[in-house]
Amino acid sequence: MSAEERIVGPLSGNAAKPEGRRNERRVVRVCAGTACVAGGSLQVVDAFRRAIEANGAAGEDTTVETSDGCLGHCDVSITGCHGFCAMGPLVKIPHLGIMYCRVKPEDAAEIVETTLVRGEVVERLLFEDPVTHERCRGEEDIPFFKKQQRTALRWCGEIDPENIDEYLEVGGYRALERALREMTPEQIIEEIKRSGLRGRGGAGFPTGLKWQFVRDAAGDVKYVVCNGDEGDPGAFMDRSLMEGDPHSVLEGMAIAARAIGARHGVIYVRAEYPLAVNRLRLALRQARERGFLGEDILGTGFSLEIDIMEGAGAFVCGEETALLASIEGRRGMPRPRPPYPAVAGLWRKPTLINNVETYANVPRVIAEGASTFSGLGTKRSAGTKTFALTGAVQNVGLVEVPMGRTLREIIFDIGGGIRGGKAFKAAQTGGPSGGCIPAEFLDTPIDYENLDELGSMMGSGGLVVMDETSCMVQVARFFLQFCVEESCGKCPPCRIGTRVMLEILDRICHGKGEPGDIEKLERLGAFIKRTSLCGLGQTAPNPTLSTIRYFREEYEAHVRDHKCPAKQCRALLTYTIDPELCTGCTLCARSCPAGAISGEKKHVHVIDQDTCIHCGACLAACPSGAVKAE
Amino acid sequence: MSERGEAHATIVPPDYWGAEELPDLAEIPAQTWEAIDRWLAEHPGGRERLIPLLHVVQRRLGWLPFPVLEYVADRLGMSPVEVHGVVSFYHFFRTDKKGRFNIKVCMGTACYVRGAGRVIEAFADELGVEVGDTTEDGLFTLEEVRCVGACGLAPVVVVNDHVYGNVDPRRVRRIVKRHRREAEVETEAAGDGGGTAEGGKG
Repeated sequence: MSAEERIVGPLSGNAAKPEGRRNERRVVRVCAGTACVAGGSLQVVDAFRRAIEANGAAGEDTTVETSDGCLGHCDVSITGCHGFCAMGPLVKIPHLGIMYCRVKPEDAAEIVETTLVRGEVVERLLFEDPVTHERCRGEEDIPFFKKQQRTALRWCGEIDPENIDEYLEVGGYRALERALREMTPEQIIEEIKRSGLRGRGGAGFPTGLKWQFVRDAAGDVKYVVCNGDEGDPGAFMDRSLMEGDPHSVLEGMAIAARAIGARHGVIYVRAEYPLAVNRLRLALRQARERGFLGEDILGTGFSLEIDIMEGAGAFVCGEETALLASIEGRRGMPRPRPPYPAVAGLWRKPTLINNVETYANVPRVIAEGASTFSGLGTKRSAGTKTFALTGAVQNVGLVEVPMGRTLREIIFDIGGGIRGGKAFKAAQTGGPSGGCIPAEFLDTPIDYENLDELGSMMGSGGLVVMDETSCMVQVARFFLQFCVEESCGKCPPCRIGTRVMLEILDRICHGKGEPGDIEKLERLGAFIKRTSLCGLGQTAPNPTLSTIRYFREEYEAHVRDHKCPAKQCRALLTYTIDPELCTGCTLCARSCPAGAISGEKKHVHVIDQDTCIHCGACLAACPSGAVKAE
Repeated sequence: MSERGEAHATIVPPDYWGAEELPDLAEIPAQTWEAIDRWLAEHPGGRERLIPLLHVVQRRLGWLPFPVLEYVADRLGMSPVEVHGVVSFYHFFRTDKKGRFNIKVCMGTACYVRGAGRVIEAFADELGVEVGDTTEDGLFTLEEVRCVGACGLAPVVVVNDHVYGNVDPRRVRRIVKRHRREAEVETEAAGDGGGTAEGGKG
């Protein structure tokens, strides 16, 4: 077939040095991940196109006189997320080893003229190391990237996700070819088992074993499903992968389908990720055109069709049985297991469900061998893990490190430490299912088991950093509120229990906590964990329980002394005006909705504590910092 | 059309929507029905098509009026109650009309940690509505959404397709003003001819 002819080149050609070949290409790569697009990166792309045209021979062929004196072809292309979202929009010029940060459309002309034509660097757009204040030329000089090891994300930010040729150029679909031509399904499963790959969706079930179960299950019709319903607030690893390197996910699914004997696949993606949906659609079409999907793939007789199913905004659909119900067009409610989906899944047929990141790791395991993969990470948890690093950290973004690194390395070395010089208080992993880890465990190596022992969990990889201004009771309340809203209502422990917990936390935050509340939360939490039907309820109490475990004195301060040590719970604060600092500007009095502030113009103002409703408007209004909240 | 009108009159429980909120069939563009039929013809299958079809309809109309749900149920051989069960389960689907500008305040963890709670309060104050409601003039709907994934810009507010990053409660008034003016300009441009109030996609 003709598709085969076309792929022979990139696959079996000079495959030894894809890197080298790529670097020779002159290309300006503009990050087009969601955060950079929101920051205007698509306008930057247009500006570059215009600037290059204006500079070189006008017309379709965007040719520029380049630094080495020869006329070279210079393309502008987009890439997936680099992960350095705080500094976006990012522009990378690989052949010169330059990365520019926070590029605006109006900078494009200058970059073309200075960098592409004259080969000089636009200093002001380089990343400035916040510690040494040195400018970093390329990615490899930026501390954020230096300590990372990108495996699942290796092509995110490197290739154009909308162009299958770029994926082929870096060796894409070679693993699939190998799996189809050289390996039996048993060998594939054996290889995955030996690699030690575990489910990246959070629970960490050994991937190879799961594949084995589905392969061994009776039945002719089997399904392979990709769980891209990344619902954790603050997590965007899967989104970045689907947007930045959709073909890796497809290739992983195809290999899995071959291993378990499936001919149909479904990718379930959140509807909130329109860009990911579009890129996946495009990737599917291109893969089909090139014969990597569809009938008789690569002439091996193996066939696979993959469909995309958009979710509709229900967190619980990340749970596998709920996800399957949703694909079948029903309310996304979980059901008791067993039977597990491996035995009776989609349409009651054996079904393999893996997370996006798990599939993205598969091509690498097959292409480079299990031992390369298992050589990374720890004994119990092989390979790397991506984290969405957010919250009170300098460098918000997407990071990937080998398992076994410590939180300190991620937060301080890669994340650049806490924003605004504040003190670290806790790291929250695993989203609404996870827990808060305090400073004393910053040096614990991260793997599935260690996080479990700390009362948290790996989860899909959300990592939210909190500084001293976060009130842990409020944090617990925030996550619990999420679970209450997202509980599907099927089982009482989750539906009723989490709501009662939330009421208690609400009370505590409003200064109405009662003695015994903390113990009640602990008892109830343990009970909900034990008796809930699915993972949502079984983990919903984690944020509350872990904050009680590590920050009990903060809860006690709320309940016993009616004080919020982090000064976040407004109802527990007393607002006063410092007579030394008050200039009598009257702004506070005018902003007070309760009329609790009195004072003459140019004279010290006073807050009447009985009338004060603790809204904090005066604090926000005061220009001289005279209003104090204690 | 008359057939649909009758069905709608008999099946909807009278107090279900609140009588004044019952959507007028005339408000639903006539092409909607054909579009549903065409989509179903292009996508053969069973009830697993329900959620994708609801997405298609909501993309066209901006919401899911009951008569349309009833029609969908009929075409898929399901009862309207089943369809409504699915619609009400998923946050993404809505059975009430949105304002001209849909203000979505991200309440993901990163935004929350950076003060999204105060931002949404400021919007609620400025617009005089509760979260989830639409202003009386039909201009603004205030919603909180789950993480939009632009955590680097937290707190994030999305108004229709426009993304505002690093939003401070103090910027809220300006954002509202800006879109209010945008609407004024549109109305002026459209003249007083009327009938254009709910133009196209929200």
